[in-house]
Amino acid sequence: MDELLAQFLVESRELVDKAVDDLLALEKAPNDRKRFEDAFRAFHTLKGGAGIVEFAAMQTVLHCAEDALAAARAEARPVSSLDVGNCLSCLDQVVEWLDVIESSGAVPTDADSAEIVALFARTSAAPVAAAQPPTSGEWVAKLLSTHAAVVSRAQTALRYTPASDTFFRQEDPLARIAALPGLLAVSLEPRAPWPKLEELDPFSCNLTITALLASSLADAAAALESESRYCELQPLSDRSQPRADESLLRKAEELLDAQLALLGSASDARQHGLMASAGLVAANVLRHVGRVSEAEAVATAAAVAIAESRLQPLLEAITAAVHGPADAPPEAEASAAQRQDGRQTMRVSAERIDALVRLTGELIVSHNAIGHAVKLAEQEGSALAVTLKNQHASLSRLVADLQRAVVGMRVLPMSTAFRRFPRLVREMSAELKKPANLVLEGQDTEADKAIVETLVEPLVHVLRNALDHGIEDAAVRAAAGKPAVATILLRAFREGEHVIVEVADDGAGIDVAKVKQVASDRNLLPAGDLAAMTDDQALDLVFLPGFSTAKSVTALSGRGVGMDAVRTSIGRLGGQVDLRSVAGKGTTVRVTLPFSVLVTQVMTVEAGGQLFGIPLDAIVETLRLEKGRIFPIGAAHAIVLRDRTIPLVRLADVLARRVEGVHDDSGPIVIAQLDGELGAVQVDRIGERMDIILKPLEGLLSGVPGLAGSTLLGDGSVLLVLDVGEFVR
Amino acid sequence: MTVQVNDKGAIELSGRCGADDAEALLRHLLAMPGATVVWSESEHLHSAVIQVLLAAAPRMSGPPKNAFLATHIAPIIA
Repeated sequence: MDELLAQFLVESRELVDKAVDDLLALEKAPNDRKRFEDAFRAFHTLKGGAGIVEFAAMQTVLHCAEDALAAARAEARPVSSLDVGNCLSCLDQVVEWLDVIESSGAVPTDADSAEIVALFARTSAAPVAAAQPPTSGEWVAKLLSTHAAVVSRAQTALRYTPASDTFFRQEDPLARIAALPGLLAVSLEPRAPWPKLEELDPFSCNLTITALLASSLADAAAALESESRYCELQPLSDRSQPRADESLLRKAEELLDAQLALLGSASDARQHGLMASAGLVAANVLRHVGRVSEAEAVATAAAVAIAESRLQPLLEAITAAVHGPADAPPEAEASAAQRQDGRQTMRVSAERIDALVRLTGELIVSHNAIGHAVKLAEQEGSALAVTLKNQHASLSRLVADLQRAVVGMRVLPMSTAFRRFPRLVREMSAELKKPANLVLEGQDTEADKAIVETLVEPLVHVLRNALDHGIEDAAVRAAAGKPAVATILLRAFREGEHVIVEVADDGAGIDVAKVKQVASDRNLLPAGDLAAMTDDQALDLVFLPGFSTAKSVTALSGRGVGMDAVRTSIGRLGGQVDLRSVAGKGTTVRVTLPFSVLVTQVMTVEAGGQLFGIPLDAIVETLRLEKGRIFPIGAAHAIVLRDRTIPLVRLADVLARRVEGVHDDSGPIVIAQLDGELGAVQVDRIGERMDIILKPLEGLLSGVPGLAGSTLLGDGSVLLVLDVGEFVR
Repeated sequence: MTVQVNDKGAIELSGRCGADDAEALLRHLLAMPGATVVWSESEHLHSAVIQVLLAAAPRMSGPPKNAFLATHIAPIIA
């Protein structure tokens, strides 16, 4: 794929993610002007990118989305849920196209924008504006007419309606207004008509404050941040722009657009020259029409773009200038921030990092081999043994450091996985007509890339289950006195060497009796076993393959592939899934994962003359029992440990490596835990503990049950690592 | 004292008036309907105080010391 297209893909995907975040935030807080401007800018930049790679269909659909947002702004109304939905559909289409480009390496020639265009056309024809009358415009008009003298300098209009308990919060709204940058004029009005003076409550705030500011919307928003939900901000740039300049501005915009087009035609070799000239022309044009700060921003962006051989900074700066003066300051700040970030981070393809991981793995194996050699040298009494041992010790430290650094490179924040869930929950809750709010916590928690990426699918299952089965219908919730909007908490945190991800809903909880009933109806377990089960054990039944308690199969879940699939895929990552549920209060699904998948700690055991590894995670304890304390039960064996009967298998028997006379029944026993069940494995000898790089089995061995993987030992031999759960079951 | 009745029977606001002063001001205004409020010595008025002035609309004697009050609030309530 050509480099420009590759860059376009990476940047477009980031912008799409950004736009989705902004749109969803906007849906929750429709008056959040900053989010609005951010979303708008993301769409605009995406469109600019599409122009550069000459992808007309993508330009068209993004243009529609931009128009829809611009209409909301022009009518001074909040962005409707419908707008957000349409814009999300538009982004879906864009992502689809990006996928096509990624797989085919070229811009699709048959891309059809008609569907999305029609979608937006329907909406704009519908009287959305009538449903939400643009009342917000009136106060701006009134404010402008009251303070006509300062209108020409005003950039932003503010309406601030502090909550009535504001004074109790030690908040002084007018002091806040007085401190605003570029304050031009203030109007004060009672929110509700003043009562008789005798009835006035001096501690209840009844003020509506409107103000005109010479500062930009972003600056005002920043200054009012903690009170932002009581504030409404309107950009005034369109109105205050002198009309006489219009033709000049249009000409300037044409010139800027021409620079964008010119940049679009850039091929790699000429890029620097083109960027320099486009940057220069754009900056001069901006200076000529008096937009000096933007001119400076463009000039700096051009320098950065040339230095980094990236079009993006310059494109963004020029696009921002075309887009409108009100946005210029935040844009400049944003690109300044990006520039700084650019120096601190660099993009490296995942493959290169994976290659480094593989190399580190081999280095660890080779380091283990040297350890083996050192031991041999010691045994032989070689004079070099001491030197070798010292060098090996410092090598150990370096390898451990390297390993940590490499593991650190592969970590991703959980937000990478979490970011798609707000949208998923939004859609599912709409489909199921169960209003729900997804609360994300601990998005900064880091874990290995493989884990974060693999986590997505199981979490989708769990979230679906929470919405579909956990959360009650609106009527049931109302009857139980719960808030109509359910809350699903998705949180991640670090606990020692583990990363914990929890999904907690405030739904009905799991009906244990019903779970048992279903398990017996489906003959999943014998009736006797079921009756003897504790509630916790019964809850675990939902992880059985083929279990589903939903009365009806919906499109979302209830096909019985849910929780057992979750446990399987989490198990594959070396993690565990547990369930806690309180009737009437809700259910919590807790996923415990290792921080890194790079290194596995194993204990080596010997059975039938061969060495095996058992993952340390699975081992609860090791012990040695007298011969008589192993009881035969039918064809199998069991031991009694602290009043619990635990099934026992002899590893040598299972592996059919039993050699008469070589071992007896008094060998050490490893107690392993899997999914809450204990199992005992008798081995001939317990060896050492070691860190290994677990390699999945390939070829002939890949189908063998009971094997988790293999690794190379220091002496070059292969160590098979056992999946103890398979034996215990 | 930040809210005081002077010997001419006017209510004087001086220095920095906090939210608590709103109640004292309201009490004086209720006790003496039609009293003038002198704010030439006020350096800061809490929104709660301004709210009382706005609701009671007394005759104001100023201008206030503070620039924000003089420029932006005085045109509204004086």
